[in-house]
Amino acid sequence: MTWELFAVFLGSSIRLATPLLLAGIGEMVSERAGVLNMSIEGMMLTSAFAAAVGSWATGDPLLGLLIGIIAAQPVALLQAVLSNTLRANQIVSGIGINILVLGATTLAYREIFGARSRAEIPGLAKIKPPLLGDIPVIGPAVFEQVWLLYFGIALIVITALVLRYTSIGIAIHAAGAEPKAVDKSGLSVTRIRYGCVLFAGFMASLSGAFLSIGDIHTFTEGMTRGAGYLAIAYVIFGKWRIGGTTLACLLFGAATALQFQLPALGIAIPNALLIMLPYLLALLAVGGLVGRQMAPATLGEPYRR
Amino acid sequence: MTALEQPSQPAIRRFPIRPALLVPVAAVGFAALVGLALIASIGVSVPDAIAAFVDGTIGSPYAVAASINRSVAFALVGFGFVLANRANLTNVGGEGQIAVGGIAATAVALYGHVSALPLGLAFILPMLAAVAAGAAWGAIAAVMRVKAGTNEVISTLLLSFIGVWLLYWCVQSPLLLRKPMTSSATLPESLEISDETKLPLLTGDYSFPLHIGLPLTIVIAVVVAVLLSKTELGLRLRAVGLNPVAANRAGMSYARTVIFALASAGALGGLAGALMLLGEQYTLKDGFSSGYGFDGLVAGLLARGSVTGVAAAALLFGFMRSGGINMEMVAAVPTALVVVIQGLIVITLAGATLFIEKWERK
Repeated sequence: MTWELFAVFLGSSIRLATPLLLAGIGEMVSERAGVLNMSIEGMMLTSAFAAAVGSWATGDPLLGLLIGIIAAQPVALLQAVLSNTLRANQIVSGIGINILVLGATTLAYREIFGARSRAEIPGLAKIKPPLLGDIPVIGPAVFEQVWLLYFGIALIVITALVLRYTSIGIAIHAAGAEPKAVDKSGLSVTRIRYGCVLFAGFMASLSGAFLSIGDIHTFTEGMTRGAGYLAIAYVIFGKWRIGGTTLACLLFGAATALQFQLPALGIAIPNALLIMLPYLLALLAVGGLVGRQMAPATLGEPYRR
Repeated sequence: MTALEQPSQPAIRRFPIRPALLVPVAAVGFAALVGLALIASIGVSVPDAIAAFVDGTIGSPYAVAASINRSVAFALVGFGFVLANRANLTNVGGEGQIAVGGIAATAVALYGHVSALPLGLAFILPMLAAVAAGAAWGAIAAVMRVKAGTNEVISTLLLSFIGVWLLYWCVQSPLLLRKPMTSSATLPESLEISDETKLPLLTGDYSFPLHIGLPLTIVIAVVVAVLLSKTELGLRLRAVGLNPVAANRAGMSYARTVIFALASAGALGGLAGALMLLGEQYTLKDGFSSGYGFDGLVAGLLARGSVTGVAAAALLFGFMRSGGINMEMVAAVPTALVVVIQGLIVITLAGATLFIEKWERK
């Protein structure tokens, strides 16, 4: 493998890991607080669709991104109401939301774009950071990425700091581990959990917008294709930690990038096996490498005062 | 969705109109109304759309039979879900179990030298292979649960994706199940299975293609219902679901029960795949499972532990899908509309659980 190819591999690994990483970190925060969002998939798809339509209609990808973020919030709110206020089964409600969104976006896509599928949509700009981007060979291939990626990295760093060093972080952790204690301390478990689900919705909306207007500049029906479910698996893979989840997602990106790299190197491995690889990896990870005591204690259980 | 949430018996006597029945009906009605509003909003004549929908569901003997065949596959996955759910296990892997069932059935039907066998073995053996493959697929999740404590929601979901890609691989590779490549235009699909291995039709008439999957599924429904409510095994499933530690101490093996529950669910998913292949599609192609696993899962989720509930939901979804397909062909209403309605039903019912419980406890 030449340096050029390796740099391209590295760059595309990072690019392919980004949607999973953004959605995964949001989901991780929400799971820490005790809410399992099976609806990450639906939130991503909503935003991917709304961002694409917004960018296409206004001609401005930044406005598209904003529209994507805003559109995903009602979906997140619905999940929050269902899993906290109505104490619905979080798996059922999440899957229900995903079905609804898949149907609604497909329907709306057909109505808006009709036969003009695969319409060219203005996408978010790429930036080349100074210094890093100037490294010969590696610079452009690895670091010249859509700015949303760098924005996402900044958000993840902030999230890590908040979780680790602030009282908000402690409250989130406690809402998942010992909700009764949080309640006794005078904080509202419900309010914390609402906030965390909405945060997960925000991160998922960035992830969805990255897919449609960041990466491939078009929308296709059901384009998330299970990425939201994979994000949940990779949170487990990463043991509910920021560092672990980030590494797991990068591994996913690398495994996905292999699909495009190995054929370029003339290595013949069945395409299907390569597509399967990230799922196999996740399965092996959740089956063998992760112990059973790691999950937040009340994950998936609605809190009842 | 634990076994505790089952409607209790006295509630039936005190309330002739049970909310557990009333609410689903209301949810379906509400979702249907939203669907009608959506049809009107995209500029299609509502009566035309309804006519197309009805025509696609009960308009012809063919439509009825196709809808029931579809419902049968949903119901099998749903029964499996309810069975595993009795042990507090959530099997969301129907899609993958259907896929591996389809692969196994195709492999045995095409290359297992079964066509000449007497007594219906020509289609029974492929069916059994599918059941075994589905059971193995479900058992992987069970073993992971027992050995590593892996949550079966995630493992069955990942296994679903893997199963679907496995099927893609099988129909893409000439070394596996793809039909011999005569030109570059050879489609990525298997050969058609021989007539002997196709499921016999109940009437023998192709204008009413109802196959033996229906009577088979009715038998399975009765077996599952009896198993859950009348046998020691059903009790053991419930005990393990409610309190694994206590059940273990009472001499019930947690590991064996979990493996039985998930493998049975997988076996039923595999059987659904076999019925779809041997009874309707006859060739294996990419997209074979086409969301049937998810529809079956939803039927199982909505039934809240009841076998008759699964049957009702499966019939509803089977007919809805047929109607939706016809609406798209005749009235230019995208099938996605039916998906929207289905999603609304699930969300409404999920959100109403608390309400139903409070009402029934009153």
